[in-house]
Amino acid sequence: MNVLYVEDEEKIANFVCIGLKEQGFVVDYCANGNDGYAHALEFEYDAIILDIMVPGKDGLAILKGLRKEGNSTPVILLTARNELDDRLTGLNLGADDYIAKPFFVEELIARIHAVVRRVSGDHQNILTVPPLKLDRLTREVTCHQEVIELTSREFNLLEYLMRSPGRVFTRTQILEHVWGYDFNPNTNLIDVCIQRIRKKIEKVGGEECLESVRGVGYRFRKPQNP
Amino acid sequence: MKLKSFRFRIAILSALLAGTAIAGFSGITYLLFYQSRLNILDNEIKDQLSRESSSSRPLGHWQTYEKIQASFFGDQTQQTNALLVISDGKTIHQSQNWQTDFNPESLFASLPELSNLPNLQLPSLNQTQSPNNPPLTRRPPPPRPDRESSRGMPENPPAPSFEQPPPEDRPPVAAPQFISSLVTRKTSTGSWRMGTAVSPFVKIAIAVNLKVIDREMSAIQNVFLISMPLTLLLMMLGAWLLSGSALKPIKHLTETIRRVNAKGLNQRTSITDLDTEFVELVQVFNQMMERLERSFLQASRFSSDAAHELKTPLAILQGELELALQNAETGSPMQQTLSTLLNEVSRLSSITRKLLLLSLADAGKMSVQKIELNFSQILYEITEDIGILAPDLSLKLDILPDVKILGDRELLTQVLQNLINNAIKYNLPNGWIHIQTKLKSNSLMVTISNSSQDISSSDRDRLFDRFHRADPARNRGIEGFGLGLSLSREIAIAHNGNLQLDQTNQGCTSFTLILQRNALN
Repeated sequence: MNVLYVEDEEKIANFVCIGLKEQGFVVDYCANGNDGYAHALEFEYDAIILDIMVPGKDGLAILKGLRKEGNSTPVILLTARNELDDRLTGLNLGADDYIAKPFFVEELIARIHAVVRRVSGDHQNILTVPPLKLDRLTREVTCHQEVIELTSREFNLLEYLMRSPGRVFTRTQILEHVWGYDFNPNTNLIDVCIQRIRKKIEKVGGEECLESVRGVGYRFRKPQNP
Repeated sequence: MKLKSFRFRIAILSALLAGTAIAGFSGITYLLFYQSRLNILDNEIKDQLSRESSSSRPLGHWQTYEKIQASFFGDQTQQTNALLVISDGKTIHQSQNWQTDFNPESLFASLPELSNLPNLQLPSLNQTQSPNNPPLTRRPPPPRPDRESSRGMPENPPAPSFEQPPPEDRPPVAAPQFISSLVTRKTSTGSWRMGTAVSPFVKIAIAVNLKVIDREMSAIQNVFLISMPLTLLLMMLGAWLLSGSALKPIKHLTETIRRVNAKGLNQRTSITDLDTEFVELVQVFNQMMERLERSFLQASRFSSDAAHELKTPLAILQGELELALQNAETGSPMQQTLSTLLNEVSRLSSITRKLLLLSLADAGKMSVQKIELNFSQILYEITEDIGILAPDLSLKLDILPDVKILGDRELLTQVLQNLINNAIKYNLPNGWIHIQTKLKSNSLMVTISNSSQDISSSDRDRLFDRFHRADPARNRGIEGFGLGLSLSREIAIAHNGNLQLDQTNQGCTSFTLILQRNALN
């Protein structure tokens, strides 16, 4: 998948690019709004990631220009400021999503997948990582053709881990993402939740797939060569 | 008793002062008027005495005279005047009105016996008498030719008063004549003014009832009694209105200050059409507001800028740490360290985010992205966690199903989590939590109460202060930055609602979140 990434902060761009490439993205990176705009018009991308505050043409101006030119490539805005006004303006100008800094690259990748899916009409609602199959639309998880009943929290947690099998998530990361919680490290919320999911999978005869990483957090086991 | 209202005090005081002054003036006026009426009456009596005693009259004259006498004193009833005529020691006429206690003898006694006087040394006689009997104002009666002629009486030049006889009025042949000073006699039929005269022909005593004057005086009194309260009332009203308009700038200022509390520091009071006395006050007030606003904006902008500037380095730290974490060997000490660092970065991010939100709220710029939310659903999801976080607490839920409101999901979730987390954190072992939602007209009330130690009243006041945490020593082990409640309240306010600490019984803490439903069904 080809993405264009416009960002003036080189250090941020550095790890974002690495993260994206690891996930198999082809990334064109521009540190300057004018270059970014030129690239966006010249080449075909599956998605464009725009920082709002960039030198030259700023993110919102690029977005406006693209939509005026009839370019409908999905755009995700990065906002350093948490100002909702900017986000709202962005969404009104035709952005597909926004993400506030600081963000986890994981989150960005998930959003890119989501907007691409939405725009292409390719509804990849089914997420399959053996032994589990997860349907985002019906919110159903099946294992060996048997439905596992999960609470909404449990479903969200499982989906979050299943999106990136093999990737370690810290407890804070999970809390922030699944629960929307602020920093709160002294909670056993996640551990209890993971235990419950594990039991439910075990009940239908599914093998162990949620791994604890000692002192760090959890991950969904990467399936052995399929 | 102290009157609270300044306006009222001014009105009362001005009425009091004016009332005293008016009462004083009217009293004096009343007395002066009475005096002048009495003088007129006296003069009239003297006038009559001097005329009637100046010559010899036929017997039948007195009957007639008494009838017309009344009209001289402004009365037609003949009830108010009395006449006694004595000639040669015999009473030749006495009115029916004549009272025995008039006692005219004392007055006659003060006059010299004319018959005993060989030669008429009148002025000297009078002079000997005047010291013991100080005369009231004695003036020669003015000549009344018209009245005399109308009565068809013989033309008789008025007898000169023996005191200061104007030389031109002195008749060529003067019959000696003495008029006593007038006295007031109190009798059963009221007070009478009486005077006597002695001449070689007769001794006359005329008494006039003071009712004549009293009747007029009571009319004047009535005028005073009606006009005085009316004047005072007008005075009070005037003072009330005037002080009201004088206090208007103060009222205006109060309103401005109230607006400042409600809307922010950018409120000013206009100084146009102000009284000069108030211009300076308002100017100084406006300047103060100017300074306050500037320094407030500065502080607000500073914290907003600081938070903003922190975001980029935090993003870099977080990104790099995450990358390193994924690349580190699974479960290695290095990975654990990185995870700890990542947690700390998250904590920093969280504080930064809250500060930014607070500074936006202070600047009145916390815009909320309102979408339709199933509030009950959000609340249920959060309460699911309570069982996991604190299994020993008993939980009671009274949540109305499917209550939908317009609001910002992220921010409201944060508020509810904050309140519920507090309810868990500050609970007692094996305590309870009660969550209740209520609909009241257009607002949704969410009450979260829990068993707890009592909050001291000083802490109650400061609970919503930033970075405030109840009893720092006790709660060191409890995580949090003390921003939660103040931010929660700001979020509630940004939703046109509020967050308040309820008055509760001992051993219980209760917060109520009020949100507007914004005309959503």
